[in-house]
Amino acid sequence: MTTDVGQSPAATSATRDSSTVSQTIPVSARDDYAIAIDDLGVRYNLRFNRKTTVRQSFANVVLRRPPEQFWALRNVSLRLAHGESLAVIGPNGAGKSTFLQVLAGIMRPSEGFVDVRGQVSGLLGLGLGFDADLSGVENILLGGAFLGFDDARVRELVPQIVEFADLGQFIDAPIKTYSSGMRARLGFSIATAVDPDILLLDEVLAAGDANFRTKSKARVIELVSGAKAVVLVTHDMEWVREYCNRAILLEKGRVILEGRPDEVTELHLQRQAEEAERRRARAAQKGLDPLVAK
Amino acid sequence: MLPFSAMLHSEAQAPRRVVPAGSSSLSLLRQAITDVVSRRRLIRYLVQADMKKRGSDTFLGNLWWILDPLLQMLVYVIFIYAIGRKTSNDYPLFIFAALLPWKWFIAAINDATTSVIRQGNLIKGIAFPKLVLPVATATAGTVGFLWGMVPLGGLMLIYHDRISLMLLWIPVIAGVQYVFTLAGAVFVSAANVFFRDLGNAITHLLRLWWFLSPGLFSLAALSEIDFVKHHPIILTIASLNPFATLFAAYRNVIYGTPDGVGKPLPPDLTALAGLLLGSLVFLALTVIFFKRVEPNFAKVL
Repeated sequence: MTTDVGQSPAATSATRDSSTVSQTIPVSARDDYAIAIDDLGVRYNLRFNRKTTVRQSFANVVLRRPPEQFWALRNVSLRLAHGESLAVIGPNGAGKSTFLQVLAGIMRPSEGFVDVRGQVSGLLGLGLGFDADLSGVENILLGGAFLGFDDARVRELVPQIVEFADLGQFIDAPIKTYSSGMRARLGFSIATAVDPDILLLDEVLAAGDANFRTKSKARVIELVSGAKAVVLVTHDMEWVREYCNRAILLEKGRVILEGRPDEVTELHLQRQAEEAERRRARAAQKGLDPLVAK
Repeated sequence: MLPFSAMLHSEAQAPRRVVPAGSSSLSLLRQAITDVVSRRRLIRYLVQADMKKRGSDTFLGNLWWILDPLLQMLVYVIFIYAIGRKTSNDYPLFIFAALLPWKWFIAAINDATTSVIRQGNLIKGIAFPKLVLPVATATAGTVGFLWGMVPLGGLMLIYHDRISLMLLWIPVIAGVQYVFTLAGAVFVSAANVFFRDLGNAITHLLRLWWFLSPGLFSLAALSEIDFVKHHPIILTIASLNPFATLFAAYRNVIYGTPDGVGKPLPPDLTALAGLLLGSLVFLALTVIFFKRVEPNFAKVL
């Protein structure tokens, strides 16, 4: 077996990164887990964002503005054993995607400890790394190289990937001539061409037309049953209850509840209903104010 | 049964990977080398994609690679003529020997500026060594320089008395320039993530750098100016410019001595070796900087 594929760069970096925070492993080495998370925190420094300029930064230094910080995740602890399937649910901006990014090794934890054992495959977006001017086959090679798959194996898998994506003769045409559905199909086929030990899914099940959705759902179920552990971010509560044996509810970066899927989804729906109610009440109040002033 | 039965599967239980902190500069440097070596296939694909794109995008395609430096040379020759400076007949070759490597440098730096930020979604979606991005961009830039050999060959046919075996030194000089360019590319690609207006600043900085570099003139001509004679420090500073060394080297082998009288001669190897050493140190520093800020890319992009 090729080492390129077996050695997941994602898992390595997650471990290496976390070890800058904590050098020792706080669990017994015999603990048989797939994912261990202890007191994980991810902090964003709002001083730097996608709009920061030299001019602004200079102004910040001159005016001695303190750096603004924001915790996308805080105090998250979790053990995921082999064979478990975890659903991460919560409202928008709760830190669900950040959570997956940390597990995938994309994001470095600001505090705490993360250990991910095994080859990680993340479906955090479809068609990442595609080059619009390259053909389908060339993009399979490029996408595979970005994912860190061994090149010879990717070349072997090309026929299967092409067949699964159902692209027909388009496979030699540049990707820019593809419809968005075709692109999503190809992205899905590349990302799922390899059976991972640990599968991370971020709501990518809605790829392509109804026909392909059925096919991709079947493939995801196959991966879920084959993987040693699955972490899934979704808004589809049906899916959570059907395919996960555990769930956590995140809100504003904190774990609200961790437990059985039915309990957690119930609490989530309940809190969402309450939140909607509060918002309606506030809106009504605002609508009333001018009348009261009169 | 779905078609993916022959999957890549790591049979062996993945070992515990508790690697030492690895934030010392030396280990960052070692990681960077591993990044590039282990992902050389990815770099190759990225370079090939880049080449393919440039050739196919425009009507004239690859012909632009040939026309572009010639047209720019023409602009400078007309400009110098218009302001009434006396030039020799071989002034076009004099300029061209500096223009060609300079165009390579600015194209590589400009492309590298956006090499990381334009892959924002990718960086937030897949864990991969980001260092491959500026490395691939800088490497793809050499293609423009290679194409530039075509118009250079054409010019050399006009000034055929300058054709000599010294031209074989060009790859060596270009190699030194590549190391220097790579270091710059790695730096700007990372810095631009945090300061988005860096691209604008760099454009103007590069333009200033070109006019301060002995591209349209030679250091020998500079030393003739009275003001410079009285302030020799200017000449010292000017000769510390990496492109003073590079342009002089290219000119030696393509054009001959700066006064245009002598035949082409080997480059100043001591100066080149010094520049290579300095560039390697510069490269190590920028790579360490890159690796230090790399974990923050996903948060900022």
